[in-house]
Amino acid sequence: MLALALCSLFIGKYPLSPGLLLSGDDMQWRVFLTLRLPRVLVGLIGGFALGVCGFVFQTVFSNPLASPDIVGVSSGASTGAAAGILFFSGVSAGAAVTASAFVGALFAAVTAIVLSTLDKSSKNSTIVLAGIAVHALSQTALMALKLTADPERELASIEYWMMGSLNGITLSECGGNLVLTVLCCAVLFFLHRQIILLSAEEGEARMLGVSVGKMRLTVLITATLTVAAVISGTGLISFIGLLAPHIARLLTGENRISTMLLGGITGGILLLGADILARTAWAAELPVSIFTSLLGAPFLIWLVLGKRNARV
Amino acid sequence: MPIFQAQSITAGYKNRGVIKDCSFSLDAGSITGILGANGSGKTTLIKAVCGILPHRGTCTLDGTALETLSARQLSQVCGYIPQRSGIQIDIPVIDVVLMGFHASLGLLERPTESMRRSAVGALAKVGLGGYAEHNYQKLSEGQKQLCILARTLVCDRRLLLLDEPESALDYAMRHRTLDLLRTYVRHTGGCALVALHDPILALNACDRLLFLRDGTTAGSVSPMTDDPAETERLLRMIYGDVRLLRVEEQWVLLRDGK
Repeated sequence: MLALALCSLFIGKYPLSPGLLLSGDDMQWRVFLTLRLPRVLVGLIGGFALGVCGFVFQTVFSNPLASPDIVGVSSGASTGAAAGILFFSGVSAGAAVTASAFVGALFAAVTAIVLSTLDKSSKNSTIVLAGIAVHALSQTALMALKLTADPERELASIEYWMMGSLNGITLSECGGNLVLTVLCCAVLFFLHRQIILLSAEEGEARMLGVSVGKMRLTVLITATLTVAAVISGTGLISFIGLLAPHIARLLTGENRISTMLLGGITGGILLLGADILARTAWAAELPVSIFTSLLGAPFLIWLVLGKRNARV
Repeated sequence: MPIFQAQSITAGYKNRGVIKDCSFSLDAGSITGILGANGSGKTTLIKAVCGILPHRGTCTLDGTALETLSARQLSQVCGYIPQRSGIQIDIPVIDVVLMGFHASLGLLERPTESMRRSAVGALAKVGLGGYAEHNYQKLSEGQKQLCILARTLVCDRRLLLLDEPESALDYAMRHRTLDLLRTYVRHTGGCALVALHDPILALNACDRLLFLRDGTTAGSVSPMTDDPAETERLLRMIYGDVRLLRVEEQWVLLRDGK
């Protein structure tokens, strides 16, 4: 992952060379600090976080197809971003869209989680159903926002945001998000034992000493916060949360803290790799989700058809 | 001497009452078996005592009402084996056993080397020595039950609640499981409440039997000391025309006319 990050620092339209950087070239340093370094940091930390959160969701729901989308975080972020593009398109638009997407993602996820707590049985399926309802509501709001958008500029911006990209990310816009992502990931690693225990049947987990309702809420909110912090800065990034934990499990064959860590590293590699391809595969820069989906979609088909008995 | 008392337990699912006004006590160092036909409420009673199912009435262990304990405190005094474990993820067998120590670990603590040794020892006791690093999902149903038994026996707890822990086990392992339970309760001075399907195993392995019929306690006996006629009467109430015989210090149950 670090080798890929190093490559990523020097790949792009504007050629950077280690020699010129070391000689103190002003332009080289400006490109390095304002464009490449933030991009690589977001790719590295964002991909890592998406992989870790994918592991968390799949483990807590004991479902190999679970991902952060299950609580409506992506659709909430899209709606928030669309609102940001429409209503705050003035100065510092990028930061406003990031903040708006973050608020949208959190609002959707917290609504789904709060709705699920209304059912006292606190079953996993209730959260999934609440997530589907919130997703549907978010999509309705998004469609309404798209209808009012100017097709030339705003609609295109909304669509481009939804395809995800690390292009143009700056530390001033995403610095706070990165810090939040790192903190939330640390909390998830501290709670890894509880996360594994939550995969057991509810009564069994309770009798092993886990306050199931409270712990599941804590874990899901932390994971959701992490994903919201990442995708509010990058736009939607498909499949990494689904793909990375499975690759980690294929390599380790188990669910331990090491698998969670490997899921994160795999997520980082996937996002950095997809970003390098997005920058180099075509004359114009492509959205990063094209490449993550190119990998993820066949994997999903394989998971559904080829591994019918797929487990987490 | 009783260390656990259940007083007027009433429990069920949504609007359907299953257990009605059940009261019983468990002695220190004893195994109490619950016998009853399918749907009589054995599992519901165990889940109500655990607090997994909301219930009316009180369960008192060493003078403390279990209903007042947090999940963590409850786990420190009470072990539970469900009919079938809900663990659906790929996980090493040793990690499943180490889950038994969760309640005694702090948030940032990891299982110690001595806990790991105890877990390996517990696996050896239940006949799964050498399986520590195997994938739990690849074990047979019987081996999974033994693994969960090891997880329960790895810590000292005052009360064990077991819901048909022998249902997927072969003849030898059924008896071995009950033998391990007996050694455990004698060693710790605790008690065990076990829902069982096999009346012959229950008659020969349990100190006391609790008979459930339509969610109520039909009666209770100590098979080794009480009048066999009373035990036979209760068995007939549940299983129909059966005859209880004593053959070479073992209880045998025969269907009438066979």
